[in-house]
Amino acid sequence: MMRIATSLRLLPSLLTLAWRNLWRNHRRTLVMLSAIALGVWAMIFMTAMMRGMIDQMVQNGLATLPGHAQIHHPDFVRDPSVVNRFAEPGGELLAALEQPPVTAWAARLRVPAVVASEYASRGVTLLGVDPAAEAALGSLPGELVAGRALQGPADAGVVLGESLAQRLETAVGRRVVLMSQDPDNDVADRGARVVGIYRGRLEGDEERFAYTGRDSLQALLGVEGEVTEAAMNGPDYRRVVAWLPDIRRAAGASLSVQPWQTLNPFLASMLGLQDGYALVFMLVVFLVLSFGLVNTLVMAVFERTRELGLIQALGMRPGLILLLILMESLWLLLLGLALGNALALATLWPLRDGLDLSAVAAGLEMMAMGTTLYPLLELSDMAMASAVVVGLGLLASLLPAWRASRLAPVVALARD
Amino acid sequence: MLVSLAGPAVGAPEEDASARRDDSTGTGSEAAGLSADTGAPSTATDLDAADIVRRAMDHYRGLSSRARMTMTIHRPDWERSLSLDAWTRGDDHTLVRVTAPARDAGNATLTVEGNMWTWSPGINRVIKIPSSMMNQNWMGSDFSNKDVSKDAALVDEYDHRLLDRERHEGQTVYVIESVPHEEAAVVWGREVLRIRADWVLLEQRFYDQAGALVKTLVSRDIRVMDGRPVAAVMRMGRVDRPGEWTELHTRDVDFDIALSDSLFTLSSLRNPRQ
Repeated sequence: MMRIATSLRLLPSLLTLAWRNLWRNHRRTLVMLSAIALGVWAMIFMTAMMRGMIDQMVQNGLATLPGHAQIHHPDFVRDPSVVNRFAEPGGELLAALEQPPVTAWAARLRVPAVVASEYASRGVTLLGVDPAAEAALGSLPGELVAGRALQGPADAGVVLGESLAQRLETAVGRRVVLMSQDPDNDVADRGARVVGIYRGRLEGDEERFAYTGRDSLQALLGVEGEVTEAAMNGPDYRRVVAWLPDIRRAAGASLSVQPWQTLNPFLASMLGLQDGYALVFMLVVFLVLSFGLVNTLVMAVFERTRELGLIQALGMRPGLILLLILMESLWLLLLGLALGNALALATLWPLRDGLDLSAVAAGLEMMAMGTTLYPLLELSDMAMASAVVVGLGLLASLLPAWRASRLAPVVALARD
Repeated sequence: MLVSLAGPAVGAPEEDASARRDDSTGTGSEAAGLSADTGAPSTATDLDAADIVRRAMDHYRGLSSRARMTMTIHRPDWERSLSLDAWTRGDDHTLVRVTAPARDAGNATLTVEGNMWTWSPGINRVIKIPSSMMNQNWMGSDFSNKDVSKDAALVDEYDHRLLDRERHEGQTVYVIESVPHEEAAVVWGREVLRIRADWVLLEQRFYDQAGALVKTLVSRDIRVMDGRPVAAVMRMGRVDRPGEWTELHTRDVDFDIALSDSLFTLSSLRNPRQ
């Protein structure tokens, strides 16, 4: 007890001593400092980049899914056909969807269909939508390259993806034939004019999704007033669980309400994977750093063997010597952390509007990403990087510090 | 284009044609009965054109028919022929069976009111053709499933206009442009029909919406079968692939025969009785 109290009392002096020791060989210290700063920068910067990528994948996935949660007929997920439909939300459910925390919602008719032109026909997912509601949900394709958007739920025109239109050899103003099946499995088809062509977030989407007015698709399939899917957004996609039970209650037992994590488990697992990945990455970077750190301290102790022997002979206890070496390490680590964090912030700041990666767009496409990468810096990542560096850094310094404290004064003084 | 599968039946009595026109379409029948002789070039109107097409369609199929045909599918590096038996009744009932070669014999297709089922003895099952497959080839030919099942569409879902008159083997030929309605389930920009005064469809041209010719159905070898002039050979081919075509040779055909209701049913598809 006495000893610990003494140590604490001596701590300010030890810190001063450690600080001065650090700058006795300032070149070595600066080299080590820059190594730590670079390591910390890598931890934070790369993690922010990875988080940005994953976040974008999830956002893209949610825009395509769409929504943070969806309402279906209980059999729809197993058999996504118009047979498994339900009446457009009304009453209690409508009230729940119209108020916070739901920020936007849209009821849509989603059916497998074929789009045929004079030259080809392609299987697509045909979405009968209310354009205004979908726009609020953010689920409409990003960019219109030709023609116009759908003008309302009654719009009988069809909006196709750019690459689908190319495959069909059709264009804005031409007619295509939409074919699907009505609830009795009879063929339902009609001509529809291509009113717009969109460029999807991903090229795959362009060939997958075709859009038409909800009312006109309902009329084609003979299911007026009914939809197959209602999608909604909340304030934050990570915290759907908070408000989903209310919607579930309002929807009643006859409808299935599922969060995006259930509807797209792949996306959910990507988020979980990211946390693990960040930690592993930081540990690997630290492992490389720790060799340099330990080496620096071992050298510092080796050079000062005589001196350490002397102060021990003058009455400094081994415990304080151990503490002194640890303090030197701590200064080094804290300085490195501060520099590294500052460096990371300084490099991430210019990238806040996104990093243009269109040169490698094809590769990103395979990862379901767009061509602009928005780094996502999270405080928890900075904290984790700092904790890893300080905690494990001190742990790694224990060995040289312990060896310094175990020097026999006579042997140490005899060395020249 | 069931037309072609059913065998071009022509020359049904005029009152039959008028009667069927009335009950099958219910619209546009205000067009005065137009006979081949009275239609004067100078007074031809749009309604006349619609009437000519309707007449030709009615006459292709008759009230009912039974035909024996050979379908030849030609490709640059191979060719194969199927023998078919085909029954039709009205606008929307058709049954086609393959009788040869042995490998394909027994395959059958039934269409009733726009829906289509196939029967394959090899797998012993009736399959309903889903909408997604309606644009695919019918038995590997240049006819699509839709061509086979959508028969009456040409009459009702298009606006018809008389473009011109020509002469063919001493008879008047009406050149008619048919433009599909806005919401018609037709991909073509327009079709041009050549219909002879005895209601034989000589040619059907399919244009895309930019005005380019995509495929043609051409009749030749018109001869009298069961008392009516019939195109014994009809060829469907893509313009951009001259080496690929499908020909239907009608060997013999009987018109306006009695066919039982049970013929156009799934059980009849499964268990041939004829």
